[in-house]
Amino acid sequence: MTGLSDLAEEVVHLVEKSGGEICDVLIVDMWATTAEVERNSVKQAEYTVDPGLAVRVYEGGSSGFAYCTSHEKQDIEKAAELAVSQARAGTPDSDFRGLPEVSPCQSIDCLYDPILASLEPEKAIDMLLLLVDAASDDARVASVNAGLTVSASEIALANSNGLVRSQRMTSFDVFAEAVARSGDSMFSGMDYASSRRLLSDSTVAVGESAKQQAISGLKQTKMETGDFPVVLDPLAAGYILASSIGGGANAEGVQRKRSYLAGRLGTTVGSEILTILDDPTLGWAVGSTSFDGEGVAAKRKAVIEKGELKTYLHDTYTAGKDSVETTGNSSRGGAIWSYWDPPAISFSNLVVRCGDASLDEMIRECDKGVYLRVTFDSPNLATGEFSGLLMEGYAIEKGEVGPAVQQATMGIDMLDMFARVDIIGKQQRYAFGVETPALRISSARIGGSG
Amino acid sequence: MIRLEDKAEAAIERALSLGAEFADLRMESASGTSIIAMDGKTKTVTSKIEKGCGIRAFIGGGWGFAVCNGLDKLDLSKAAETSVRLARASKEKATLSFEIASMSSCRVRSEYPCRTAPSTVPTEDKLSFVLGLDKSMSAHDDRIISRSARYDDFEGERVVANSFGSLVKTRETWVLTSCSAWSKSDGAVQRGHDAVGNVGGYELVSSEPASNCGVSAASMAVRLLDSKPVPAGKFTCVLDNKMTGLLAHEAFGHACEADAILSGSSVLEGMEEKVVADEKVTLIDDPTIADTFGYFAHDWEGVKSAKHVLIEEGVLREFMHNLETSSRMRRPPNGAARADSYSSPPIIRMSNTYIEPGDMKRDELIEDINEGLLIKGAQYGYVEPAKGQFMFKCDEAYDIRNGEIGQRYRDAILTGAILNVLKDVTGIADDFKLVDPGYCGKSGQEARTTDGGPHIRVQNVVVGGLA
Repeated sequence: MTGLSDLAEEVVHLVEKSGGEICDVLIVDMWATTAEVERNSVKQAEYTVDPGLAVRVYEGGSSGFAYCTSHEKQDIEKAAELAVSQARAGTPDSDFRGLPEVSPCQSIDCLYDPILASLEPEKAIDMLLLLVDAASDDARVASVNAGLTVSASEIALANSNGLVRSQRMTSFDVFAEAVARSGDSMFSGMDYASSRRLLSDSTVAVGESAKQQAISGLKQTKMETGDFPVVLDPLAAGYILASSIGGGANAEGVQRKRSYLAGRLGTTVGSEILTILDDPTLGWAVGSTSFDGEGVAAKRKAVIEKGELKTYLHDTYTAGKDSVETTGNSSRGGAIWSYWDPPAISFSNLVVRCGDASLDEMIRECDKGVYLRVTFDSPNLATGEFSGLLMEGYAIEKGEVGPAVQQATMGIDMLDMFARVDIIGKQQRYAFGVETPALRISSARIGGSG
Repeated sequence: MIRLEDKAEAAIERALSLGAEFADLRMESASGTSIIAMDGKTKTVTSKIEKGCGIRAFIGGGWGFAVCNGLDKLDLSKAAETSVRLARASKEKATLSFEIASMSSCRVRSEYPCRTAPSTVPTEDKLSFVLGLDKSMSAHDDRIISRSARYDDFEGERVVANSFGSLVKTRETWVLTSCSAWSKSDGAVQRGHDAVGNVGGYELVSSEPASNCGVSAASMAVRLLDSKPVPAGKFTCVLDNKMTGLLAHEAFGHACEADAILSGSSVLEGMEEKVVADEKVTLIDDPTIADTFGYFAHDWEGVKSAKHVLIEEGVLREFMHNLETSSRMRRPPNGAARADSYSSPPIIRMSNTYIEPGDMKRDELIEDINEGLLIKGAQYGYVEPAKGQFMFKCDEAYDIRNGEIGQRYRDAILTGAILNVLKDVTGIADDFKLVDPGYCGKSGQEARTTDGGPHIRVQNVVVGGLA
């Protein structure tokens, strides 16, 4: 670690000598191993090493950025030279107020799992096969496709104010798709899990869940178009909230008046039972970090508290522009960070505060409605309007989950959705960067084919 | 200095000497520039310096893939050893055994057509182009409140080599520019966008579509100010060129990728030579079309690219293959393997995907619709071939009543079933265009693609919206 930190400081000095007086440097040393199963058989194992470096230079507020895929002196010098020249080529920006100053930063636990970091590819394959056993344990399951990736990195970040930070991170991701067939009916179920530590038990659970969903979906139905209550599974809630809150509260979009949440700070944007935090300190979550992509110490904060919009998500640039303190939401992308892109604003981990209802109780509250387990759609951030596919959605009839709904859509304005959250579940899960329980929406527009 | 191709062949030899039955690699050295301008100022000017190699080894049904970020002999030799170790580990636990069928070797050097290499153009000139796009958006209409303009270029030297003796060197150059504009009126904010991209050099920015990219985005943003949320329900829809392309890509193209067939996750498994569409429909994926963003001459396994006739007059004819799927399905390789960089293994991808033109006029498709929608512009789409379901989202929709185009709507999503949607095509116009350059995502990799086709009419489309 000292080696990478020293290198980061050395490169900062090199950039300064090249004329880049305001700069930051990220050094990354990472490796990853992946195992893949196709149709129940081990297909491929991969091993990647990816050392690299990113240099960002500001001149008159203009930002130049360059990266190289090595730590070799020749490449580093070239990247430094390019970042300086690109910053000089850009337009001045008086809204830039500088990079973070040296400040205390407490390292948080639960970022690095040494057991995970030393996992051999052969072990990853064995774990994946346990998942396949669990997912294929039913004659109706015709095929299981799955993947498991373990990644680890050491990073060091330094800037021209003398700030130097470093940390080690690990990441574990597993997914499964089970395809079930019965007569003419075919359906696939998916599930996944991610963490900064080894999740042996969860790996099997992911396989069992994919199997269960694939089988559940073999019975299919159609729905008529209409307004119905919708219970969002944590998987669907996580996906929608990651884009609607993570993207909508992004201060850059807000400042440029591109977000439906612009001008709503301090106002009610949702039901009073809805509280959503941004928490980079969440134990073992893949969005957790001791400091953000510019070196600002991690801090937990409410984004929405009892329905009120409390903050936007800032990096130092947007914070300077609004004359507020940065919220530490500059991201270097991904669980183990990357040098391939300039830093950008992102949430760390969003956490939806739990209610006290079980999923069964939430469904029992619906005489006729939809249980939406999976969607991969995002709202239009300018309007806040969401229209998406029920990729894996089930009809609720008389308080019970019924067949899978085919060819149906859900439409709702995000502010209406937040206001119509009338029951919140008590069981959270981590999905797409969001630790959330199930949410019940009292009414949404379902477009059906029935 | 040792030539790249000599290093490549030495690494392949190393993998074979350790027991690989087949081995290949992708070695790259690349550079590029990205410029993002927002609201009259540059946000970031980015330069990239990339080099590295991904080596694959195959043993009896198991693959190993190893990546290194260096091109010296030691890095490559170590990566070759790792790939063989991983292939052996995979093979030991694999329950499926197969071979990679030998292909005739191909030794060629190809260069994408490029008049002006982007690396020879000063950053200041590129910046001037991007700021010009930004200015064209702000000048278009007072209601434009925010703008983003982006320029990306890429120049790379790629070596693909394999143990059948193929060695393909490709000099790849492409340029992509895109614009987004946000408009505001009476408290409502709307967004418009456009993108223009092509393989080739900096000459692209002088083309009319690239010069008009900003105005096109701004016009859309302003047009949408009087739009309403689309009504949900089942409609007869007329799709414009972009949406026809997105339908071809999402609703059918992905399900024709042979890796989806072999993994048991495509509803098209076992459907070859069966009727899957109306007889008017011929659906193509063709990477050989020069002057498109999806163009390539040889794929990332060193196979010469070829036109793929996926559906011919309603009948499913062909899947897209890589070396593995063509071996296992006993079909000739047809050059559809692509990797988004040396650090990713090649997988089956589309290129330029379209529906061939018919003989109707666009207005004829519309004139006998009593109640329907005209769907224009493509945002994004996705498909789950195993569920047989797809969705895609448009930019604009227009009410059709008694053959007349009326109220403008926004953000409509269209969904349907892979096995039904093309049977519901009731008319195809003659106004063919390949119009929509962009990126397709699959298994964490991006591939540059273009979609297109003529206007087509489809019945029984489920449309999702807020109204």
